[in-house]
Amino acid sequence: MTSISAGTASVPRRRSGLRFTDRRKLFLFCLAVPAVAYVIAIAVYPLAQGIVYSFYDYNLLRRGGRMTFVGLENYRELLTDATGQRALINTFAFTFGAVVFEFVLGLGLALLLWRDSRFNRIALAFLLIPVTITPLVVGLIFRALLAVDYGYIGYYLAEWGITDPRGLFAGTSTALPTLIFIDIWEWTPLVALILLAGLKSLPGDILEAALADGATPAQRFRLVILPLLLPTVFLALVLRMMDAFRVFDSIFVTTGGGPADATNSMMVYGVKQGLQFFNIGYASAIGNVTILCIAFMAAAFALLIRRADVRANET
Amino acid sequence: MTKLNSTARRLGAALLLSTGLAGAAFAADKPLDGVTLTIASQNDQFAAVIAKLAPQFEEKTGATVKVDILDYGSLLTKTQADFVGHTKSYDMVTMDIVWAGQYADNGYSVDLTDWIKRDAAELQIDDIYPAALKYIGQYDGKQVAFPFAGYAAVMAYRKDLLDAAGIKVPETAEDFVEAAIKLTDPSKKIYGFVANGQKGAAVAQDWLQYNAQLGGSVLNAEGKPVLNSDANIASLKVYKELFDKAAPPGAVDYDWGGREESFRQGLVAMMETWSVGAPGYYDPSMSNIVDSVAITYTPVGKGLPPKFGFGGWGLAINNDIDEKKKEASWEFIKWLVSPPVHKEMNMLGAGSYIRKSTLADPELNAKYPFLPIIAKSFENADGDYRPRIPQYPEIQDLLGTAVNAVLVGGADPKAALDEAQKQAEKLF
Amino acid sequence: MSVTTLDSRPARAPSRRRTALQQRVLRERTALVIILIIYMVPVLWLVATAYKPPKDMFSSPPTFIFEPTLHNFRRVFEVFDVWSLLKSSIIISLGSAVLSLLLGVPAGYALARSQSRYAIVIAYFFLAIRIVPIIATLIPFYLMMRDIGLLGTWWAVILVNTTLNCAFVTWMMFSYFRSLPKDMEEAALTDGCTLWGAFWRVALPTVIPGIIASALFCVMFSWNDFLVAMFLTNTDSKPLSVALLAAFGTKDITWGTLGALAHFSTIPIMLMALFLNRYFIQGVTRGVN
Repeated sequence: MTSISAGTASVPRRRSGLRFTDRRKLFLFCLAVPAVAYVIAIAVYPLAQGIVYSFYDYNLLRRGGRMTFVGLENYRELLTDATGQRALINTFAFTFGAVVFEFVLGLGLALLLWRDSRFNRIALAFLLIPVTITPLVVGLIFRALLAVDYGYIGYYLAEWGITDPRGLFAGTSTALPTLIFIDIWEWTPLVALILLAGLKSLPGDILEAALADGATPAQRFRLVILPLLLPTVFLALVLRMMDAFRVFDSIFVTTGGGPADATNSMMVYGVKQGLQFFNIGYASAIGNVTILCIAFMAAAFALLIRRADVRANET
Repeated sequence: MTKLNSTARRLGAALLLSTGLAGAAFAADKPLDGVTLTIASQNDQFAAVIAKLAPQFEEKTGATVKVDILDYGSLLTKTQADFVGHTKSYDMVTMDIVWAGQYADNGYSVDLTDWIKRDAAELQIDDIYPAALKYIGQYDGKQVAFPFAGYAAVMAYRKDLLDAAGIKVPETAEDFVEAAIKLTDPSKKIYGFVANGQKGAAVAQDWLQYNAQLGGSVLNAEGKPVLNSDANIASLKVYKELFDKAAPPGAVDYDWGGREESFRQGLVAMMETWSVGAPGYYDPSMSNIVDSVAITYTPVGKGLPPKFGFGGWGLAINNDIDEKKKEASWEFIKWLVSPPVHKEMNMLGAGSYIRKSTLADPELNAKYPFLPIIAKSFENADGDYRPRIPQYPEIQDLLGTAVNAVLVGGADPKAALDEAQKQAEKLF
Repeated sequence: MSVTTLDSRPARAPSRRRTALQQRVLRERTALVIILIIYMVPVLWLVATAYKPPKDMFSSPPTFIFEPTLHNFRRVFEVFDVWSLLKSSIIISLGSAVLSLLLGVPAGYALARSQSRYAIVIAYFFLAIRIVPIIATLIPFYLMMRDIGLLGTWWAVILVNTTLNCAFVTWMMFSYFRSLPKDMEEAALTDGCTLWGAFWRVALPTVIPGIIASALFCVMFSWNDFLVAMFLTNTDSKPLSVALLAAFGTKDITWGTLGALAHFSTIPIMLMALFLNRYFIQGVTRGVN
């Protein structure tokens, strides 16, 4: 906390001792410290421990839970093992599919809801219901609806020959898309809400100017609205990406990662290794790779958006 | 637990009177006053029954018993965490038959050998099937848990469908396969066979059952894994054939619940299952097949000695808790498996048998006509077709993925089992 | 609601174009109604399934007409101590929300008002805490809770949930405070108000909706969390979310008991979000801008 702006310096000094700006800095510092300290103690400390564990062969159920240093072996195994590779690919595919569709559909929904009316406000309130349901329950609801023997949707899809008679969750090529669909169902309204918030904060005069210039709706959207909306889009995409990459509950209660390894995700794999086999070293490596992937993607997003922003300003 | 307890207590009191234990219970002083015992229990039929009966134990001894009912995954995770963290959250744990190796190896639970010897008369140990004692809890010369719920693998079938097709109840595994395919008629939505196909424990456990009947095994004579043995590959091919030709299409995604449900709904002619589910087939509120269902022995492979799958649950006492609680837990176990209480438990639908006298009880036999089948199966029980070694959970997981991949992913049986074998060898 | 009620669309078209506009509104509303139906069907299924007799649940083909029963509710009360589960859920989610607000609101204010160039970095650090996968921290945390004797208590879950929640609250309040002009606080300070007073009596009252929105998010997160609560609680302290899976059963599919238990776990939070949705929306709106 070094820089001092002219704005605060202009506030008159009223007491002796510390200068007002310094007292103010101290005050703000004291307000921020508890939260920072708390997060470091409870999240960062175990995280650091997780990094250490990932370099060890450490299984709580074997050899009395002794630790053996193995260097990068856990990471090597994760990245070369077929199951690990598959989990990584699935997780990326899931995240990509979910985020892209949620963005496109969410944007459409936000545009539908843009007009401010009582009807739209009520519609939005109801559309936000899925966001509040436990992902565990959402997974179970769709498992029941899509069951081929008795599910209200699955039975007819199979009966009318739209899907394989074994059902959507049982096909190696359909299971992951089905889970992506469930995620889209649950989270598109939240994306729409974020984008809607962005839309509503757009400056009205610019929109009117565009309309006066005779721009078609499509042009208006592409040239005026979208560039202004970019920061919001970035936020929506990053938030969803971070959550989608850690998908667990809905997979856990529907396919358990199957059929074969078709829907095994990093978190499902990690929870199995960590909380079922207590293979702490390996599970920590899975967790750390997950963090790295998310951080890398967030950085890539930030870069892309910035470039798009620059290009939009040039035109 | 106030609500549950008060209802249960009233029920418990009524039961006490009806079983004639009341006099003894009220007369005895309460040696375990103030002790609270917590059980982590699998959400099987017995769980709610134990919770219901627990207040009787409190009347008798003064010890409060709390039953924490968990699903299989949570039970495994929470109890393991409790043991490795020495956190003493649970005094007793329901132990799946296949966890014995892990318990014995790591010393999670109290070795009950001496106590059983000391209290043999009180336990009426000769009345308990030797197979139950051996498989549920005996490992490496230790008794890591005491059996209270033995399940027999049995075959449930539909008399009407077999009669209509003129098929005799199959006695060999080979006949079973043939009959299953013959009974299947998708146009009428009738299928010959159903088993678990879902990835994980579900498909692994069911396949192991058929694998054993067809002469396969997980370990060789030296105790080393031989997942890709010729017999195993052959049996996996048969299992796949059954799924392709004789099972309801949804079966590749079934776990135990889905499998039982498809049978109760009347989609399926024959199913190998655990005896614990059998009462449900006769319950008109759940079942469409009350009048046509029958239970018999599981088929045996041609030329193999008659052996019937055995599974179930024992109660293990956490080794971290203090002596007084260990003793109290032992008192509870003895009480729970005592003939009158055990009978009561099964009258309430627990489906959990370990005693010869319970299976021979006329009142129970009148209620559940299939008990002689269980009794006979227990006498020729095989509880080792799922090896109870410490590495079992991982092996089951490997098989669960491999078999499922063969059923739905079109993976080659040999290639899938070779890969599983490669991974399994790392565990030894 | 000053921001959201402002219709920023271009002013209404002249009257001869009104019919075209009306048609467009009609089309938009039809689309919305269809989307709403897609969203309500699974929710209605969850509610209806609780009243369905077990046998009808699995009939193939599925039946739409059935005789309602309370059997599933009786079963739920037989197996679970629903009131204790509900109590735990409430204590855990409210406890974590209160703690998160106590930590996060001042921190958000401090970061928003700080002139330091590190403030924004710290704010994004809080946002980034969300990416920490729980498997990486759960076991170290489990052992930590054992060592300080909090394992199996509500506190263990509250403490973990508070990390994620407090990070989220800090970030959201940071955006919220930043969107508010500083003039009032500066004026108050010039009038001799203390720094604390400027925060507590001047800035805070203007962000009450943001605080409500943050609290709502915290409650929702803790209420719905399954993995942490499953791992850290015991018989007496476990919340509804943990019981849900046991209600569903591993070896016995009991959609009915799940639906019945969802009446206590899912529906209250759904209704809460519906009634407080004004704040929910406002929280997101401010958090975004």
